Amino acid sequence: MSDPVHPIAEEDLHAGIDGQLAADRQPIVSRYLQDHPDIARKVAAWREQRDALRAAFAAIAAEPIPSRLLMDRLLQHRITRRSVIWRMAASALLAFGLGGAAGWFLRPGVQPPGTAAITLLAQQAVSNHVVYTADRRRPTELGAQQRDDLARWVSNRLNHQVVPPDLSADGFSYMGGRLAATPDGPAGLFMYDGPQSVRLTVFVLPLKTAGEKPIQRVDFADVDGCAWIDKGIGYAVVGKLPPSELRRIAEGVRQQLSRTT
Amino acid sequence: MTISGVLTRIEDCIPALRRYAAALLRNREDADDLVHDCLVRALDKLHTRRDDADVRAWLFAIMHNLFISQLRRSKARPSGEPLAETHESIGTRPEQESSLQWRDLIRALNQLPVEQRTVILLVSVEDLSYAETAQVLGIPIGTVMSRLARGRERLRQMTEEGAIRPALRRVK
Repeated sequence: MSDPVHPIAEEDLHAGIDGQLAADRQPIVSRYLQDHPDIARKVAAWREQRDALRAAFAAIAAEPIPSRLLMDRLLQHRITRRSVIWRMAASALLAFGLGGAAGWFLRPGVQPPGTAAITLLAQQAVSNHVVYTADRRRPTELGAQQRDDLARWVSNRLNHQVVPPDLSADGFSYMGGRLAATPDGPAGLFMYDGPQSVRLTVFVLPLKTAGEKPIQRVDFADVDGCAWIDKGIGYAVVGKLPPSELRRIAEGVRQQLSRTT
Repeated sequence: MTISGVLTRIEDCIPALRRYAAALLRNREDADDLVHDCLVRALDKLHTRRDDADVRAWLFAIMHNLFISQLRRSKARPSGEPLAETHESIGTRPEQESSLQWRDLIRALNQLPVEQRTVILLVSVEDLSYAETAQVLGIPIGTVMSRLARGRERLRQMTEEGAIRPALRRVK
C-alpha cells in the first residue's frame, strides 16, 4: 500500500469510478494504481462496464413518457376521488401551472354538479390551509411583524379592505399570512398559532356571485372549518379544532371583519 | 410551494424510474406497471413529505419496496420460477435494436443476484450516491460497498471470460 496510514481499500477504487472519492484521496489512489497495473486493469474494466451500462439504458430515459404515467393523468384520477389532498394538489398545480392538470381542473362541468359557492370556498380554504400550515420553513409570506404590509397587499389584490383579525382573546396568536391562489382569483390567508401548536387559518375570497350565507360548518377529512359569505365576500376559518370552538372563533372573525368594511 | 415543488420533482424523476424499472424487469410493460404503482404510492404518501429534498431517493425507495414485495409474491407462487433467472435481457427484444450491442453485458447483469444488480444500477446508471443507495435499499453503506464491489467484479469476470451462459459456472 502506498500510504501506510490510509491504505487503499476497494471502496476507494469504486468511489474513484463513481466520482464519489474525496479530493484528497484522489492522488493517493492514482499513485496506487500506477504501482499496481493488475489492479489498474480491473478498475479500467469496471469503469468501462459502468459506461456501457449507462449507454445501454440511456435510451429508455429519453423515450416519451407513456400517457398513463403522466402526472396530470394520475392526478386527474385522484381528484375525481374528491379527497382533500387532491384538491389541494390541484390548487397547487393551478397556481403554478404544472402540466395540464390546471386546464383540466378549470374545465366547466368537471366540478361536481350543484356545488354551492360555499363548498368551493371551503375547498379552497381547506386546500390552502393544508398546504401552508404543513410548510414548516415558510408557512407565511409576510410574518406577524409585517401585519400592516400584508393587510395593504391583500386588500389591494382583493380590491376589498381586509385586516388580519385579532384572535388573541381566543388564545391564538397571529403568525402572518399570504396571498393565496384560487380558481376564483386571489384570496387572503391569515395564519394563527394556538394552544398545543394548533394552526388556524382565516381565508378571505371575494366571490363573483354576490350574496349572503350564514356561518356553516364544513368538514374535509381531518380538518374542520366554518365558512360564510358576507356581501359577496367569502370567509372561512379552518383548523383541527372542535366544531363548537371553531364556530365561536368564526363568529368573532365575522364581527371583526364586518367592522373593517 | 411545497406540494407543487414535490410534484414537479416527481415528474422530473419519471424517466429515471422507468429506466431503473426496465433494467430490473425483463418486460417493459411490467416495468411501467411498477413505475405506475410507485407513482400512485408516492401520491398517496405525498402529505407525509415536509419539503422537496431527496425526492429522487424517496421515489426509488418506494419503487424498491414495491419491487421486493413483487419478488416475494412471485417466489411464494409454487409454480413460479425464481425471478432472478427469468429476468432476461431487455436487449433480446427485437425492437431494442440499439441495445443489441449491450446484449451480453445485460445478460450478464441479469445473472447477478438481485441484491448486487440493484446496487450496480442505482450507483452506476442512476448516479445515486452510496449514502442515497443505502437509504433506498434500507441497508448499511458498508453493505452497499461490498455488493457493488462483488457485483462489478463478477460482471467483469462474466463478460471478459465469456462465462455468461452457464450462470452457475464457478470462476476460480
